[in-house]
Amino acid sequence: MAPPLLRFRRFSTRLLVIVLGLLAAALLSTYLLVTRANQANAIAHIESRLAGDVKVFWASIDFRKRFFVEGAKVVSRDWPIRTLYLQPQLDLKTLRTTMESYAARLNAPVFATFDVDGAMLATTNDSLTNDSCGPFRHLIKKADENGWEQNSDFGYLEEKLHVLIVVPLYAPEPNIIGWFGIAFPIDDRFARDLKETTQTEVTFTSGLTEETKRVLATTLPPNLAQQVADQAPAELKPDGQVMVTNMGPERYVTLYAPLELLAEDPARITLQRSLETELAPARRLEQTMLFILLAALIAASLIALAVARGVSQPLQQLAGHTELVAAGDYTRRIELPREDEIGQLATAFNHMTAGLAERDRVRDLLGKVVSPEIATQLLQSDLKLGGEEREVTILFSDLRDFTGMSERMAPTEVLTLLNRYLDRMSTIIEKHGGVIDKYIGDAIMALFGAPVALPDAAARALAAARDMADALEDMNRELEAEGKPALAFGIGINTARVVAGNMGSHTRLNYTVIGDGVNLASRLETMTKEPAHRTSIIISEATARAVGEESKLRSLGAVTVKGKTEAVKVFAVDIQPRPWPTRPQARPPTQAPYTS
Amino acid sequence: MRSRLLFALLALTAATRVAAASATLTATVKDTKGAPVTDAVVSLIPLDSAAPPPAEPPGEIAQQTQEFLPYVTVVQAGTKVIFPNRDTVQHHVYSLSKAKKFELPLYNPGQKESLVFESTGLVTLGCNIHDWMIAYLLVVPTPWFAKTDEQGQATATAPAGRYRIEIWHPRLSAALAQEIALPAGETTARDFSLTLKPDRRIRRGGATKTGGYR
Repeated sequence: MAPPLLRFRRFSTRLLVIVLGLLAAALLSTYLLVTRANQANAIAHIESRLAGDVKVFWASIDFRKRFFVEGAKVVSRDWPIRTLYLQPQLDLKTLRTTMESYAARLNAPVFATFDVDGAMLATTNDSLTNDSCGPFRHLIKKADENGWEQNSDFGYLEEKLHVLIVVPLYAPEPNIIGWFGIAFPIDDRFARDLKETTQTEVTFTSGLTEETKRVLATTLPPNLAQQVADQAPAELKPDGQVMVTNMGPERYVTLYAPLELLAEDPARITLQRSLETELAPARRLEQTMLFILLAALIAASLIALAVARGVSQPLQQLAGHTELVAAGDYTRRIELPREDEIGQLATAFNHMTAGLAERDRVRDLLGKVVSPEIATQLLQSDLKLGGEEREVTILFSDLRDFTGMSERMAPTEVLTLLNRYLDRMSTIIEKHGGVIDKYIGDAIMALFGAPVALPDAAARALAAARDMADALEDMNRELEAEGKPALAFGIGINTARVVAGNMGSHTRLNYTVIGDGVNLASRLETMTKEPAHRTSIIISEATARAVGEESKLRSLGAVTVKGKTEAVKVFAVDIQPRPWPTRPQARPPTQAPYTS
Repeated sequence: MRSRLLFALLALTAATRVAAASATLTATVKDTKGAPVTDAVVSLIPLDSAAPPPAEPPGEIAQQTQEFLPYVTVVQAGTKVIFPNRDTVQHHVYSLSKAKKFELPLYNPGQKESLVFESTGLVTLGCNIHDWMIAYLLVVPTPWFAKTDEQGQATATAPAGRYRIEIWHPRLSAALAQEIALPAGETTARDFSLTLKPDRRIRRGGATKTGGYR
């Protein structure tokens, strides 16, 4: 069974919940997958762009370095500097002003001259001392050892990050008479310049320990830049590390790359791109998708409701019809002009109603053909051949000389008269609890105590016989009034143990009783034809005993039944003629008097 | 050069007459890989007596096809060196070396300049116009010196006695020195192995054709 959550009184609600639930789950998971894929794509895209941005950074550094190296090479071969060095004593003041010229020519932020041992001779930057030029000396020493035409690296000049370059002063090459040193700072302006090229947030940070982490240059506001410095990983691979960082309200994809420094702990260059900016087109797409998703949900709910109504309305209609059918109205038919299962159901329902009506009609007919009790017995039990022995009171009635009378009448008139007679008699028999076993021409065979056992079956049969005699008297008066000949009958009643049950073939059965007792009843009826008996009703001793009126009845002696050695006592039932006026008014004739 | 050297030695011998029988040093100079080293200067600085004063003729460093000729020159201190311009263009010879700082401002082909080099030491010569032009003038305090040939061999003849042999080469970071006694009338052979720095002379017209792009 469905879990309680999915139990709904209305089919439409259930369909709506299931359809919407499934659709929403499918759409939502698609949406989430797309969102996640978009984000992953955006991060991967930013990552590859950041890798490119780092290359741009290095290219920019290389370009500037090469520019200054080539420039320094040109000015190092300048004659004025050689003439200065030609003098027996190097004039440092003039040298300094020469440096200013060169710095201006190259637009170099820091320009200095060193002797062959790396001692600083002159510089354009007055705050620089021989001591603070240590990084330059490092570079000179290494270049000298390796015979390099230039050397450069990152380093701190007065605690600020710089790119330092040294170029030998040749006279002539490769004879070195001194060194030129050039430095340009990696400062906020450099970062801004890089940002202009790459559209990337750029931050340079120093320090590997918490205390020394500081911002060297940045394009970010100071607080965010410090956050970048604080989050910088201590260990970095040469190609850096990418992570997603929350910076204020925005998420950034951040690339930390190492920046090796001359004789110092490495610094970091941090390049960041806003994830939200990268995702903006995807977000627009996602919004559209969300809109479509909602539209799809609304459309689906409308369709689901329509479908549910298409199903539930005919079902409700069917339910209403079922109530009617249950109440016994088989006349209604459902009109559903559709080809689908519901149409089939409606058709089947109509067939069922028709079937039920037919069964009811059959049951009705059965009640007419056989007595209602037998009909019920037949309908309730499986129809089987065979029967049971039980005590039954059998009543036989037969019209006197009806055959001769019928020969003088038209067949339809005969049938009408006979039906009129049988209808009345049958009504009386049934009123007393008798069951019409069969009509044999104008004869009636009725049972009391079968199929339903009755304790006073004999008395009922006797009472019925008396009423039948009264009814025939009434009918004769009517016939007399109609100018028709009167009827006379004889009734034989016997009580005996007989076999009751279904008899016949497998395809056609009759509920009836069989036995000597039946024959005796028939015989008793025949005995009423004997005028000497002066009675129309003869009952057997068994019946009289069962009724308990043996003494009140007129004995007719004993008769020997055919095939039986033992004689059976029989009694006549006398009918007291009732006085005419006291009789209730006879019914007016309902049928047209037959003419003959 | 060699003939000049021999001539000088002969003149010296004739002039002094003091000199006893002469001795000969044959030096073979190779680098660490065993390849012969050209233009290595082998000088014999006498330890027992003062070196005799320099004699004529003067040394010469010419400019020809925008190069100095020869690349390496050795002279005794106090010798005059002539700088003839045998080229088709002007040259501006200079030296910023401690041994002698000088310049010979632009002078025309066919002209010659001369200077006397009094201080010993290395004088690196350049041309202010042609960056690639370079020549070395080694001023030594002795008349007994020789320059290795293409086989890396140099032969110097000096009076028998004790000397400090000094080996110099443009690509040697520091001069190599050792004492030696040259016995009279004999030829002493010595092998030297030098650790040379790579040759860093710039190529003429060394600019790349691509403007620096690889």
